[in-house]
Amino acid sequence: MAEIVLDVRNQKTSFVTGRGMLAAVDGVSFTLERGKTLGVVGESGSGKSVLSRSIMRLLPGNALVPADSRVVLNGKDLTRLDEGALRRLRGPEMAIVFQDPMTSLNPVLTIGKQIMEVLTFHLGMPKRAARVRAVELLKAVGLPQPDVRVDQYPHQLSGGMRQRVAIAIAIACDPDLLIADEPTTALDVTVQAEILDLLQRMVRERNMAMILITHDMGVVAGRCDEVAVMYAGRIVEQAPVRDLFRNTRMPYTAALLSSIPRVTDPPHRRLDAIEGRPPDLINPPPGCPFAPRCKLADAACDAGVPPLEGPGRHRYACIRPLGQEAAA
Amino acid sequence: MADVSSSNRGTAQAKPEIDRNALAIALHRKSRSFGPFFWIPMCWLILVAIACIFAPFWGLPPADEIDWAYIQSPPVEGHPLGTDNLGRDMLSRIIWGGRVSLTVGFAAPFIGVGLGMILGMIAGYYRGWADEVIGILIDAWLAIPGLVVLLLFSVVFGGSLFMVCVSLGLLFIPTAARITRAATLNYSGREFVLAAKAMGASDFRILRKEIFPNIIWPLIAFILIDIPIAIVIEGALSFLGLSVKAPTPSWGGIIAEGREVLETMPHIAMYPTIIMFLTVLCFNLVGDAIRRRLADVREGAI
Amino acid sequence: MRYLLYRLRRLAIVLGVVTFITFLLVNVLPGDVAYQMAGMDSSEEEVQAIRDELGLGRPVLVRYAEWVGGVFTGDWGKSFISDENVWDAITDRFPVSFELMILAQFLALAMAIPAGIASAFRPNGRADRIIGGLAFASVSMPSFMTAILLIFVFALGLGWLPATGYEPLSSGLWANLRPMILPALSLALVEWTILMRTLRVEMIAVLQENYIALARAKGMSNLRILLVHALRPSSFSMITLLGLQVARLLGGTIIIEQIFGIPGVGRLLIHAVYTRDFIVIQGCVTFFALAFVTANFLVDIAYAWLDPRIRTGGAHG
Repeated sequence: MAEIVLDVRNQKTSFVTGRGMLAAVDGVSFTLERGKTLGVVGESGSGKSVLSRSIMRLLPGNALVPADSRVVLNGKDLTRLDEGALRRLRGPEMAIVFQDPMTSLNPVLTIGKQIMEVLTFHLGMPKRAARVRAVELLKAVGLPQPDVRVDQYPHQLSGGMRQRVAIAIAIACDPDLLIADEPTTALDVTVQAEILDLLQRMVRERNMAMILITHDMGVVAGRCDEVAVMYAGRIVEQAPVRDLFRNTRMPYTAALLSSIPRVTDPPHRRLDAIEGRPPDLINPPPGCPFAPRCKLADAACDAGVPPLEGPGRHRYACIRPLGQEAAA
Repeated sequence: MADVSSSNRGTAQAKPEIDRNALAIALHRKSRSFGPFFWIPMCWLILVAIACIFAPFWGLPPADEIDWAYIQSPPVEGHPLGTDNLGRDMLSRIIWGGRVSLTVGFAAPFIGVGLGMILGMIAGYYRGWADEVIGILIDAWLAIPGLVVLLLFSVVFGGSLFMVCVSLGLLFIPTAARITRAATLNYSGREFVLAAKAMGASDFRILRKEIFPNIIWPLIAFILIDIPIAIVIEGALSFLGLSVKAPTPSWGGIIAEGREVLETMPHIAMYPTIIMFLTVLCFNLVGDAIRRRLADVREGAI
Repeated sequence: MRYLLYRLRRLAIVLGVVTFITFLLVNVLPGDVAYQMAGMDSSEEEVQAIRDELGLGRPVLVRYAEWVGGVFTGDWGKSFISDENVWDAITDRFPVSFELMILAQFLALAMAIPAGIASAFRPNGRADRIIGGLAFASVSMPSFMTAILLIFVFALGLGWLPATGYEPLSSGLWANLRPMILPALSLALVEWTILMRTLRVEMIAVLQENYIALARAKGMSNLRILLVHALRPSSFSMITLLGLQVARLLGGTIIIEQIFGIPGVGRLLIHAVYTRDFIVIQGCVTFFALAFVTANFLVDIAYAWLDPRIRTGGAHG
C-alpha cells in the first residue's frame, strides 16, 4: 500500500458567532496517499474552504476545534503541535494555493521577494542562491521571461500569471501536501485548463499529494483520483472518480452533476440549479441536511443524520441512495 | 440570550463542551450597555458642571479677591486648594475658570459643526462650482494651523467670550463640512431623494426633510469628539493669554501663571492641570461610549 | 503626472486664498495698523500721516497685489516694530522650528509604529487595551500641560534636562539636542496617538487580506508578517496624516517654543501678535501655509515609494 501523507479524522470546526455556534466542518474523515489527488466538491458555504484551513491550522480566533479532531500529516499530529512547529511545516510539508491570485500576492513586494523569503526562511538558502532558485521555479511554472518577471510587482502580471506565481511559491519547498483552494475560480475560462494542467503536472513530477477544492464537478472529472462531495460541513459521498460519475448514489451528487452544462445541450438550456438553499449551520435540521431539498426524501430521512458508509471505497451518507431503489 | 439557549438544545449531547461554547458566545455577544468607563467619568463631569454652573452659590471668595494674609500659600483653612501667586483663592479661580472652559467647550463645536454642515450640504447637494469653491476654502482653512487662526482672530477681534467661542467654532468647520459633503453626496443619489425631487419638492425641503435626518447622527458623534478638543484649544489659547481677558480666570491662564512659580509653588500649576486633564479625559471617555452606542444602535436598525 | 499638475494648481489657489484672507484680516478689519502704531492718545492727523506713509489709503486689492509681487521677489516687507526684514527674520528662525518638528515627528513615529502594530496584532487583546488606554490619557493631555509636567519631573525634579533654552548646532550635536528633547517629547506625546490609531485601524484591515493569509500559509513568523508583509501596505493613511499633521505641529510649536524659550518661527509669531506687528504676522502665516502645502506635496511623492502601483504606473488595477 502506498504511503499515507494525510490522515484527517473526525475534523470538526465551529465558529462562535453572535447567533450561536456555526458548525462549518462537522466530522470529516479521509486519508490521502502520496501521488494521489483528492477532489473536494461542494457549493459555496459547504465548508470546503474551512476544511482546507483546518488542515493548514490557519483558523481565525473565533474558531473552535474539539479535542477529538485529528489531522495527521506524515505521521505528525498537527492538532498537538504548537504554532512554531506548525510554522516550520507550512511550506516544506504542506502548502496552499488560494482562490484569488489578485489578492493573495502582496502588492508591495516583488514576486521574486515573495518566493525567495520561503527559501531563505525554511531552507536557510543565502539570498543569491534563493534568487537563482526563484527564477528556476518561475520557469518551472511556465512564466515567460522569468528573469525579468522576478523583479516585477504583482500588479504588472495578469491573473493567470499571478496564479502561476502563487503555485511557484507553494511548491518552492517541495511540500508533501498541496492544497489548491478553488485555484481557477477567479480566472478566465481559457486560463483555467492551463492552471489545472500545471497543478496536475507538478503533482506528478514532484510526487506530492493534492487536495483540489472546487465547486465545479467538471474540474474534478479528469484530474482527480478520488472525489469527496461536501454538503453542510460533512462529506456526503466519497468515491474513486469513475465510481462517482458512473454509480452516483447520493441525490445531492446527482444534482451537482446535472448542473454541469454539456456540449450536447441545446443552446440556452436552463441549468438545473438545485432548488432551495443550504441549511442553517447554526440550527441544523435533525436529519439528513439535504432532505429539505431532496426530491427522494421521505419521513425516515428526517430521523437522524445518516452515517457515511458503503461498499469498498465508495461511501455515501444516504438512506435512499440512487440506483438501489429496487433493493430498498 | 434566548436564541442562544435554543441553539444549544439542538446539540445537547457533550455537556462540558457546550458550556464552554455558551460562555464563548456570551462573551461575543457581551451586551454593549454603558459600563463603569461611562458612568464614573459621567459622575465627574456632572460634578464639574454643577460646581461651575452654580459657582456664585458656594460662598467662595471672589475669583479676583486678593487675600493678603495668604499669598502663594499651599492649601490652608479657608483656601482648600491654597492661593495663587497674587493671593487669590485657587478653588474659586478653578471653578470660575471652568465656566469659561465649559462654555467654550460646548458652544464652539455646535457653532462649527452647524456652519460646517450647511457648507457641506451645499457642496454635496449642488456640486459644481459651489463644491469647488467650498473645497478650496476648506483646503485654505486647513493650510493654516488652527492656533494661528485663533491668534489672528484674537488680535483682530479681541478677547470676549463670545468671540472666543465663534473663532474656536470656525476651527471645526472644515472636518464637519467634509463629513457632511460626503454623506450628502451619498444620500442625494438615493431613491427617496429622487422620489422627493420627482414630487416637486424644493431643494430646501429635500435638504431638510430627506437628507438632514440621515446625516445628523455622524455629526452628533463628531460634536462629542470636538467638545474635549475645544476645551483643550481654549486652554492653549488662554495659556498664551489670548483667550478671555484677565482678570477673568481660565484654566489655561491659571496654568500659565503657575508655570512662572513652578519651582517654588508647583501646586498652582498642578491643580488646574489635574482638573483639566480629568475633565478632558472624562469627556473623551463619555463621548467614545456614546459614539459606540450610537454606532451599535444604527447597526442594529439596518 | 496630470494628477500631480492638478494638485499643484489646486495648492497654488489655496495659497492665494490663504494669503488674501490673512491680508484682509490684518488690514481691513478693526484694529487698524496705523492706530496701533500711533498709540492710544494720538490725534487723527498723526494716524493719517502713518497711514499715508504705509500707503494704507489705497484700495486693498492694489496693496495685496503689491505684497504678492514683493513675496515673489523675496521682499516680504519690514517689521513695523523692529524694522527687521520679515523674510530674514523667518528664515533665521525656521531651522530651529524645523528641527523641533522633525524631532517631534520622529519621536511620535517611534512610539506610534510599535504601539500600532502591537494593538493591531490582536485587536481587543491585552496589549491593545493597555495601549488604547494610554492613548486615551495621552490625547486628553494637551501639549502645554505635558510640557509643564515634563519640566516639573525631568528638569525641576530630577534635573536631567534643562527646562528652557536653545543651543545652536555649532556648539555640538548633544548640546543642541539636549534642550530639544523635552519640547519634542511634549509635542510627540500628543501626536503619537493619532498616528497609532490610524495605523492600527488600517493594519487590522490589512491583516485580513488574502496575501497575509498566504504569508501565514508560507510559514512566515508573526513578526515577519507584521513588519515585512503588513506594515507597508498599512501605512498609507498614516503617511497622509503625517502631511496633515504638519499644520497641527506648526501650531503646536508656537506654544511649545513659548514655554521652552526656543527661538523659532512660532515665537516670532507670538511676539508679533503681542506687539500687533501685522506685517510679521502676515509673513509668518504665509510661511506656515507654504510649509503645509510643501509637506503635503512631499506626502504625494512618498506614496509613490510605498505603492509600486503608482511608481511603475501599472495599468492592471
